[in-house]
Amino acid sequence: MIYDVRHVTTYTYESAVSFARCALRLEPHDGDGQQLLSHAIEIRPRPATRTARRDFFGTRTESIIIEVPHRHLRIDSRSRVMMSRRAPGRSAPSPVWEDVRDRVLDATSLGPASPIGYVFASALVPLLAPVTAYAAASFSPGTGVLAGAVDLMHRIRTEFRYDPKATVISTPLNEVFEKRHGVCQDFAHVMIAGLRGLGLPAAYVSGYLRTVPPPGARRLEGADASHAWVSLWCGSELGWIGFDPTNDLLVENDHIILAVGRDFSDVSPVDGIIVGSPRQKLGVAVDVVLVE
Amino acid sequence: MAETTGGDLGEGPDDGAAGKARLGNRRLAQWSRDYVRLPGIPDEFIAADGAPRPVWTRFLEAFAALSPVDIERRFGAADRHMREAGVSYRAPGESADQQWPLSHLPLLIDEAEWQQLSAGIAQRAQLLELVLRDLYGEGRLVADGAIPAAAIAGSSEYLRPVCGLKPPGGRYLNLYAADVGRGPDGRWWALGDRTQAPSGTGYALENRLVLSRVFASLYKSMNVERLAPFFEAFREALRASADRDEPRIGVLTPGAFSETYFEHATLARYLGFLLVEGDDLAVSDDRVYIRTVAGLKRVDVLLRRVDSNSLDPLELDAASRLGVPGLIDVLRKNGVVVANMPGSGVLEARALLGFLPSLSRRLLGEDLKMPHIATWWCGQKAAREEVLSRLDEFAIEGAYGRGVPGFDGRGPVLPGELSAAERDRLKAAITDRGIDFVGQELVRLSTTPVWDNGGITPRPFVLRVFAAATETGWTIMPGGFCRIAERPDARAVSMGDGARAADVWVVSDKAVTARTLLPGTVRIKRIAGVLPSRAADNLFWLGRYLERAEATLRLIRALGAQQRDPGRGAPNLVQTAERIQRLLVAWGAVSQTSRTQPSRVAAEALQAEAKFGSALSLLRTAQRTASSLRERLSPDAWQVITEMTARLAGEVEDDDGVVSAAELTLQELASFAGLAQENMNRAAGWRFLEMGRRIERAINTMRLARQFAYDEATGEDLDILLTLVDCQITYRSRYLVGPVLAPIRDLVVLDTYNPRSVAFQVEALNAHIASLPALVESGLIERPQRLAVAAQSSLTTSEAGRLDTKTLFSLEQDLLNLADAIGAHYFPHGPNASRPEKLTGLA
Repeated sequence: MIYDVRHVTTYTYESAVSFARCALRLEPHDGDGQQLLSHAIEIRPRPATRTARRDFFGTRTESIIIEVPHRHLRIDSRSRVMMSRRAPGRSAPSPVWEDVRDRVLDATSLGPASPIGYVFASALVPLLAPVTAYAAASFSPGTGVLAGAVDLMHRIRTEFRYDPKATVISTPLNEVFEKRHGVCQDFAHVMIAGLRGLGLPAAYVSGYLRTVPPPGARRLEGADASHAWVSLWCGSELGWIGFDPTNDLLVENDHIILAVGRDFSDVSPVDGIIVGSPRQKLGVAVDVVLVE
Repeated sequence: MAETTGGDLGEGPDDGAAGKARLGNRRLAQWSRDYVRLPGIPDEFIAADGAPRPVWTRFLEAFAALSPVDIERRFGAADRHMREAGVSYRAPGESADQQWPLSHLPLLIDEAEWQQLSAGIAQRAQLLELVLRDLYGEGRLVADGAIPAAAIAGSSEYLRPVCGLKPPGGRYLNLYAADVGRGPDGRWWALGDRTQAPSGTGYALENRLVLSRVFASLYKSMNVERLAPFFEAFREALRASADRDEPRIGVLTPGAFSETYFEHATLARYLGFLLVEGDDLAVSDDRVYIRTVAGLKRVDVLLRRVDSNSLDPLELDAASRLGVPGLIDVLRKNGVVVANMPGSGVLEARALLGFLPSLSRRLLGEDLKMPHIATWWCGQKAAREEVLSRLDEFAIEGAYGRGVPGFDGRGPVLPGELSAAERDRLKAAITDRGIDFVGQELVRLSTTPVWDNGGITPRPFVLRVFAAATETGWTIMPGGFCRIAERPDARAVSMGDGARAADVWVVSDKAVTARTLLPGTVRIKRIAGVLPSRAADNLFWLGRYLERAEATLRLIRALGAQQRDPGRGAPNLVQTAERIQRLLVAWGAVSQTSRTQPSRVAAEALQAEAKFGSALSLLRTAQRTASSLRERLSPDAWQVITEMTARLAGEVEDDDGVVSAAELTLQELASFAGLAQENMNRAAGWRFLEMGRRIERAINTMRLARQFAYDEATGEDLDILLTLVDCQITYRSRYLVGPVLAPIRDLVVLDTYNPRSVAFQVEALNAHIASLPALVESGLIERPQRLAVAAQSSLTTSEAGRLDTKTLFSLEQDLLNLADAIGAHYFPHGPNASRPEKLTGLA
C-alpha cells in the first residue's frame, strides 16, 4: 500500500508579520510498519534559513526563520509512504496489565522508545483521579492489557461526542473529560491520562488517515485534517500498539504515523513565534490518496 | 530611652570597666539559665554534653557586655535598615513586597567544623555534576541500573531537548546549594539539593551587610570569614566560562513579579551584571543578544533565575512568556553559557537521594562525607513495603517536585496527622503509583539561639550552603542563608511559614586576612555596560510619572491655597479655579469639577485611589516603575520614592492638610530630582530619566500656558500661571507691572534662561538626543532628533507678541509627537510595543 500525503498549512495575519521563527514536524515517521519514500516541504515566503535535526523522539524537525514582512504564510508538505503494518486482532492474547505495569520499572533506558518516559504526567496530560478511575473500569485485576485498552478505547468512542467546535487546543483535559466531548487529540489525551494513571505507558501519535475509505467502509472521523491517536506499550513481546479512540480502531494501514511524543506539545506539526500580528487565521488541508 | 529589659540586670551605680564586665557576666549567666533546650534535640549553643560551645561563649560574652539599651538600639537600627533598603521577598500569590524578617543574632559555626561541612558540600556538588554529565550524555548510570530510569523520567526537569547536548562552558552546575541541618547524632545532614537556580546568595549578602554594621566591633574581633572572596571567585568563574574575554553577563530574572526579585537585583548590582528579562533578549545568528538603546548587543553568559521549563517557548513550555524563543537551539550551537545548565534541576528529585551513596562510590571512588536524610523511594517494592508498614514514622513527599500528588500544599504529608479516610487514600495512592512518592525519616533538627524578649531562646533552623564551580574546584561560601522557624517544630521551615532569616558567621581562631585584589591589569572604563531598552523605557517613564505628579501637585496646591484667599468669591477667581479643575479632570485626577467645593476636588486629586491621574496614583505608578529598576537606582533614591508614596497615602485631615501634604510631597520630589542630578552617572540611563522629565515638563507647561495664557486671559489667570510654573519671583524682578500676556508668554514658553520654560526643556532634550548613539546607519537624521530640532527652531524663532492660543496648541502637538517618536525609536520592544506571539491553533 502506497499513499501520497499532502498537508498544507496556511496562516493569514491581520497585519504584516516582520519576523517568524518556526519549528516544523511534518516528515512522516520511517519505520514501525511504514516506509518513507519521498518528502518535500515548500514554504512561502521563502525562509532566510532552514535547518533540520532529529528531536529527542526521532522526529525530523526543521527550524525556519522568515525575515521578510508577510501577511500570509504557506507551508506545503508532500510525502509518499509505503505501508506494511500488521495489527493484532482485538481479542488477541496479551500479558496481564499489572505485569506490564510492573515491567515498565525495569527499564534501563531513558530513550524515546523506553516505556518509562510515558507513565508520568506531561505538559498537556495531567494525571487526574477521576480519569484514572474511569480507565480502571476497563482494567479489572488480571485483564489482558490489550483487551483492557480495546475496551477503554471502545468506551471513549461510544461515551464521548465528536465535536470539532467544542474544544480548542488549550481546552484542559479535565474539561474535555467532564463534558465528554472533543476531537481526536482530546480523546487521545483522555485515553493516555487514564492509562498512565494506572501506570501503563501511553504515547501520543500524530498522523494521517486515508481520506477515501475502502469500498463499503465508512469514512473515518478526522480524515480531512491531521489526526491523533494513542500508542500503548503492551510488554516487550507485543511492543507498542496503536489505538485510535476516535474511531475505535486498532491502528493498521489506514493510519500514517507522522510523529510520536508524550502529548500534542511534543509533536505539534507547526509551532513557532511571530513578531507583528496578534490576530491570525489558520487553515489546514490534508489529503491522503491511495496510489496503489 | 528607658530600660526595656533586664530587671535586676540593669546598670548598677558603679559603671567602671570591671563593673561592666561583672554585669555582662551576670546577664550571660541569666540567659544561659533561662535557655532551655528542647528535649532530645541537639543545640548550637549548648553541645550534647551540656557545655556551651566555645564559639558561642565568645560571642555571647562580648554581646552580654552591651547594655540592654544599647542592644535594643542596635537591633532597632538593623530593622530600620532592612525596611529602608527595601529588603523584601514576595510570598507566592501576593503582589505586595513583604519585609524580610532578620533574626538579630547570627548563627555561629566554628572554623574547624565548617571545614568538615564544606568538604561534604564540595564532594556532593562534584558528584551531582558527574551524575548530570552522564544522564544527559552517555546514559551509562541508567543503563547499568545504578539509577532507576523512573527516578529520572518522572521529573519534569528531565529536559529531553537537552539530551546529548554538550553544555557550553563545559559544565552543568555553576552554583549549587544544599539545605543542611544538624541531626540528632550531632553531625550535619543534607536535607535536599538545589541544582536548578539556587536562591539565597543575595539575601545572605544583605543579611551580612546589616549584621556586620549592628555588631561592627564584635564582627571584627570574632574573626568572621568574609563573603566577598566567594562572590569574586564565582564572578571570575562565570567570566572564564565565556568564549571571549570581557564577556557580557546577565542575570535572567522572571521580572518584578518574581518572589525573589529583590535578590536578583541585589546580585546584578553586586556582581556588576545586567539584570535582564526574557523580553530583553533576542536570538539571532546562533547567539543571544540584548536589546539596548544602542541596538543589539551580544550576551555571553546568563545566570538564570528562570526555571528550565520556562526558558524557551519553542522547545519547552510553549505557554511561557519568561523565556527566549530559540535559546535551546543557541545552546546546541554553543552560542551562550546558561548557568546552571537547563535540565540540571532534575537532581532535585527526592527519588534519587537513596542512590547517591552508591553513586559516590562508583563515580568518585569514595563514601559520601556527609550523610543525608534517610529516604525511601516507593517506586521500588522493598522500599514501598517498608514505608507502608510503618507509615506513621515517615514524612511522605512527592518523589520529584514540590508537594505530594493528590494532596494540597507544598510541604510533606505526615500520615500520623491525617484522618483515617485521608490516611487510607494516601496508602492506596502509594500502593497504586509508588513511583510518585518517597517516605522520609522524620528528623528533628538542631536549634540555635534567637533573641526574644530580652533573652535568648532556642529555635530550629535550616542552613543553605552555597558552592560555586571554579577552575580550581568548588568554592564554598563561608556562611550561608539560614532560615529559622518561629515554632519549635523543625519541619515547618519554609519561607512562607513566617520564618526569619539569620546571618551565618564562620568563626576562625586566627585573624581573617583582608584579601588583595586579583592580579592582572584592569582596563579603565567610565561607562558600565549597555542600557537595555526596557530599562531605558522604564527610566523614561519614571521621569514622566514623577514630573506629571509634580505638575498635578502644583495644581492641587494652587487650588487649595486659593480657597483660603479672602477674595475667593470674586468672579475672575472662581473662573480661574474652574480652569484648574478642568485641567485636573482632563488629566484623570478627578472625575468632575465643583463650583461650590473646589477644596473637595483638590483632596480628590491628591489621593483618589480610583483615578489614574491623582497624585497618589501617579506616585504609585512611579514606584512600580522604579521597582523594575532596583539594580539601577541607589538605595537612597528608592527610599525617597517609597517613603513619599507611603506618606502621601496617609490620612489628610482638612483643606489645610491637603495643601501641606502637596507641599511636602513637592519637596520630596525635589529631593529625588536632586539625588538624580548629583548622584547618577551621566550615562545613557540618566539621560533617559532626564528626557522623560523634560518632555513631560515641556508638554505640561505648554498645556498650562494654553489654559491660563490664552488670548483673552484675565489677570487672575496669568497670575496663577506664574505660580504654577514657579515664575512669580522672576517675573516680578523683571517687570514692575502686574501680569501682562506677552511678557508672561515669553517667560513661560520661549525664554531659554528660565529653567521652567518650554524652550529650556526642548533645548535640554536636543542635547540629550544628540548624545545618544545613532541606530540607523543610513546617515539620515533620526526621527526624534528631527522633531526635537524642529521644535527648538520654532521656539527660537517665535516672538511672544505674535503667539496666540492656536500656535500654542500646535506647539503642544509637536511635543506630543516628539514624545511618541522617542518611545518608538528607542524602545521598540518596550512594554507597549509588539512582542512575539505564538502561532496558535491545531496545525
